[in-house]
Amino acid sequence: MRNRWHSPIVRLLCAAFLCLGSISAQDPALKETFQQAKALWATQGDKDGASSRFEQVLAVLEPKAGSLSSDWVQVLCETYNWIAVLDDRTPAKRARVQKDLESILALNSDFDIDRNITNARLQGVFDGLRAAKLGRVKLTVSPDGGSLTLDGKPSSLGTGGVKFLTPGAHTLAYAKPGYQLLEQHLDLALKDNKALDFTLTRTSSTVTFNTYPTDAEIYLDDKKVGITHGQAPASALPMAAKLGLTAEQLSSDFVLGDLTPGKHVIEVRASCFKTKRVSLGEEFSTPFADHLLEPMKLEPSKGSLTISSTTPSGELFLSGKSYGSLPVNDLQICSGTYDLQVKFATGGFSQRVEVGEGKAISLQIRPKPRLTFLGFANTDDFAGRDRILNMLLGLGDRLKEVAYNQPSPKESAQDAAERLKASKDTEMTLLAVPVPGKPIHQIELILSTIGGEEEHYLVKPLETDPLESLVTKLNAQITLSEPWTGMTLLDVSGEPGPWVVQEDAVALKAGVKLSKAITTVNGKPVPSVQAFRKILKEFKGDKLTVTQGDSSTTLALSTQPVELPINASNLCYPFVLADLRLRYLGAKGDDAALLRLDQALALMHFRQYDKALEVLRDARMSTVQGVCQGTLDYYTGICLLRLGNVYLSEAAQAFNQALKYPQATLFGPEGPMVSILAKQALEDLKP
Amino acid sequence: MFSLPTWTRLLSLVFAITLALGAQDEDIAERLYQSGERAYTTKSYTEAFETWNQLLQSSPKSPFAAQALLRMARHFVEVENKPGDALPLLDKLKANHIKTPYAAEGMLLRGTILAADSHKPQELKEAMAEFNRVLDLFPDHPAVQEARYQLGLAFKIQGQWGRALQNFTEVMRLDPTATIAPKAQLQAAEVLDLMGDLPGCLRLLQGIRNQFPQSPEAAEAAWRIDVRVKFRIQKPPLKSEGPWPQGKQKWLKTPILLAVKPSGSLIIYQDGPDQAFLLKDTELVPVGTAGHSAKALLLGPHDQTWLVSAKQGLVREDGTFMSLGVFSAPTGAFLDAWGNLWVGDSRASAIGFFPIEGDPHPIPSPSAVGLAPLPNGGAVLASDSNRSLMFLDAAGQPRITIPYGKDFPVPFKYVVALCSDALGHVAAIVDGEFEGVAIWGPDGTLLRSATFKTLGISGKFRAIALDHQGGVILADRSNDLLIRLN
Repeated sequence: MRNRWHSPIVRLLCAAFLCLGSISAQDPALKETFQQAKALWATQGDKDGASSRFEQVLAVLEPKAGSLSSDWVQVLCETYNWIAVLDDRTPAKRARVQKDLESILALNSDFDIDRNITNARLQGVFDGLRAAKLGRVKLTVSPDGGSLTLDGKPSSLGTGGVKFLTPGAHTLAYAKPGYQLLEQHLDLALKDNKALDFTLTRTSSTVTFNTYPTDAEIYLDDKKVGITHGQAPASALPMAAKLGLTAEQLSSDFVLGDLTPGKHVIEVRASCFKTKRVSLGEEFSTPFADHLLEPMKLEPSKGSLTISSTTPSGELFLSGKSYGSLPVNDLQICSGTYDLQVKFATGGFSQRVEVGEGKAISLQIRPKPRLTFLGFANTDDFAGRDRILNMLLGLGDRLKEVAYNQPSPKESAQDAAERLKASKDTEMTLLAVPVPGKPIHQIELILSTIGGEEEHYLVKPLETDPLESLVTKLNAQITLSEPWTGMTLLDVSGEPGPWVVQEDAVALKAGVKLSKAITTVNGKPVPSVQAFRKILKEFKGDKLTVTQGDSSTTLALSTQPVELPINASNLCYPFVLADLRLRYLGAKGDDAALLRLDQALALMHFRQYDKALEVLRDARMSTVQGVCQGTLDYYTGICLLRLGNVYLSEAAQAFNQALKYPQATLFGPEGPMVSILAKQALEDLKP
Repeated sequence: MFSLPTWTRLLSLVFAITLALGAQDEDIAERLYQSGERAYTTKSYTEAFETWNQLLQSSPKSPFAAQALLRMARHFVEVENKPGDALPLLDKLKANHIKTPYAAEGMLLRGTILAADSHKPQELKEAMAEFNRVLDLFPDHPAVQEARYQLGLAFKIQGQWGRALQNFTEVMRLDPTATIAPKAQLQAAEVLDLMGDLPGCLRLLQGIRNQFPQSPEAAEAAWRIDVRVKFRIQKPPLKSEGPWPQGKQKWLKTPILLAVKPSGSLIIYQDGPDQAFLLKDTELVPVGTAGHSAKALLLGPHDQTWLVSAKQGLVREDGTFMSLGVFSAPTGAFLDAWGNLWVGDSRASAIGFFPIEGDPHPIPSPSAVGLAPLPNGGAVLASDSNRSLMFLDAAGQPRITIPYGKDFPVPFKYVVALCSDALGHVAAIVDGEFEGVAIWGPDGTLLRSATFKTLGISGKFRAIALDHQGGVILADRSNDLLIRLN
């Protein structure tokens, strides 16, 4: 190929063209320039206009000739052809014509010049060059319509089956669905003239069809065999019209070959569409024949999603795509499986959801604490390191209450910890520290809140499931309240059901009788307190009817707060604390106060009584019985006591405050009375 | 996998010590410990102890030495039943390994041994100090819950109900799912009843049934609820179920004393064979040693059956005797929570108090026709001479005095037999114008009563007991049978 940068004007033009910045060999604008060039010459006879545009195309494509796709190779070959024709008309440029034609042969030996625009002399020059540099092969194929590969690459059959190839060894293969592929090797010498026959043997039937939409997955007998693509030709319009579609909406032909004798099922799947199944009878597979099916039109399939949260500022993402801020009401989306993610200012929520055809999914969500795995604290090697690392990397798949983040591969654990502490992009971190030993056979997992409250877990990297206990703890849901009907019930021998020993004002007003057994709840027999509690737990309504002998009473079902245990073996306290802090965002009234109380109890787990005290002082409950303001005051006193002798008078004040709530209890509505313990605490404080 | 709270910092110290000792020494220490452990697992205790002693000599500062000391101490307590022999080992553990987490378990064990061996509050102090040390030095150690529980028991036995409750509730607050939590809840419930909070007591008992339905504590809670509800809330009129069990008639030989074991089983002393028997279903199984003309039946340590007679004094299950001195007309006896013997006497103007250690002494009181223990550590005494029931505290001082016949339609003059249950209910067979049975609450309130006439029964009823189902068992010496009232 020659260098065409000799003309200053052309160079200037080409440079300007290239300076557009985004120009590439794939730019549609280049094709437009190419088409304009052809039109200028063919319709207006504007030789200079056509030449300058062909030069522009050449300036872009020629330097990249080695890496062009077959389409652009075709464009470049045609451009050489046109330039040769135009140069031939200008005496000053005529000398370059042969090089133009040689460039064509160097690019694609199969390319044949356009003999309608090329004069006989130039044709003769081209044919002469081709005969001098290449060998000739005459191909005979049967049946037509197959595909040819030359040395493993798709190739055309050539004009009239004649192909010009570079001298040397070549492999040609001809294939067509339903026929056995035929491959032949060829040693071609310069100026050789050979013939090859590709007559294929039929081996099976074929089925051809188009789909709507395109890019549908095709399964034959439950095995994926391909994906449809492209567009159907205009000739498919009648078929498309029958289905209310345009030809462009249909895929190009999808040919299903190798149809073995017997019955078959074709399944067409596409996201957002209902799957279609078509049964093929035996007649489709035997005798061997080519069958054309009606186009497969899939019907749309959608469901809806409604998501809300009491926590503000959540942004919804479905499989990575943003759907805006919450709440989202009745969002119509294609049926299928989505990785649902909601990003909050703090905390996150992620869940895989299956949106069924015509189904409505409604979720009330709250941010979950984010746990970021920092990786290993050092590079110590030990047996099972890769195993435990992979388990830790995959931990997120096992966690339901935590949004799990992977470590950054380019960042050390320490750097990541510092970054996260500063950015607050996580609520918790997890660090793996090999415990020194010869050999190392234990890993210490340090799970910490971003504020530094941490727990340590020792695991053996080679045990069956080293993370099982941690997973269980991180999946544990804390109980913050329990259903309540205002009655304290006992199992008493000889009584037909739970026996009412105490009731609150609401139950009394409703008509519940003391010292009588409850025999049914909502018409169902209830033999024990456990059975009663089970019904309450599963009950979805807000009112229930209980019977005591002959009398029925309708009771309002409410909830009563229950305390968080301080050192429960089934809880992971950094997680509990992070979770409570997130729950507190957006909470109001007594709910917020209860969350503060539980936060304080979680802080008491870490013996951070000063922090617990701050949290308690921030809380105010309006209720006066059960776990209520009296309980908060009692724990305020306990925290002050734990802070040392300096705060004894403040502690006494808090216990005295607690005594103002004689119905206050610890733990839950049926726990011990706060007043008894507060009195004892005051007694202990006396000098 | 197990969680390690902050006390793992101490584990780090263990590692630090390990490093200081040198890897080689520590390797030997670990091997010796494991070798001893293997021998112990196969019950080759001598070999195990030899190996561990070798470890103690070769690497006395090693954390494995601490582990060995703890294992050996546990062996003396749990296998040899010689808790005293464990104490020197635990002292050594505390002295040499105070910074290791094993010290927490060691101190807890030491405190438990000392508490079990305490016979007076002064002795309990050292045990309580050990429990407090666990709380102060190892606040995150799992032993804290047990230490709190033991502290609760220690306060309870001293009658400091409020402090006992504080510790039991702390156990419940720490980890309500732990196996010790229902035990603490049961104790907290009983303390609440002692403090006069019956609804609170019942709530906690039911809580055990709800949260730990399969636990032994749930079974215990069940009968404690039943009896309290029946006696103190429902108070149905007493009715006779007739001869019991299963209508059995004339099947005993002069039954004159009854007692109920903590498990709820009934013990019957028959004057005919001079022997106590355990009632198993409907069969009688002899228990304890024979004792002529017993006047009181009591439960000794480890579920033993002891007798008190005028001539022999105290007759223990192993056949040993103890003279009761001037208390020659015993009418009731029991062992208190410290193991001291209380004896009521119909002739002496005092209760005989026989401490487990030290000299016996009288507790001034009117002469007693009946004496029974109360869960507050004290006793209830029936005095015909004073015509009153006296509820005494743990020091023997009267706290409540109920005149005979108070709240009765007609008065009674004599108490024929007196009993109590673990919940503080008191029952008596009474005679006089009102001839029948009466039940009082722990505060002396008359709960239920009925005359033999209204019950439709007759006989020479000489003994009474309260069972775990809320029933009253009467022993009829003339008809040689038992009658159950419900």
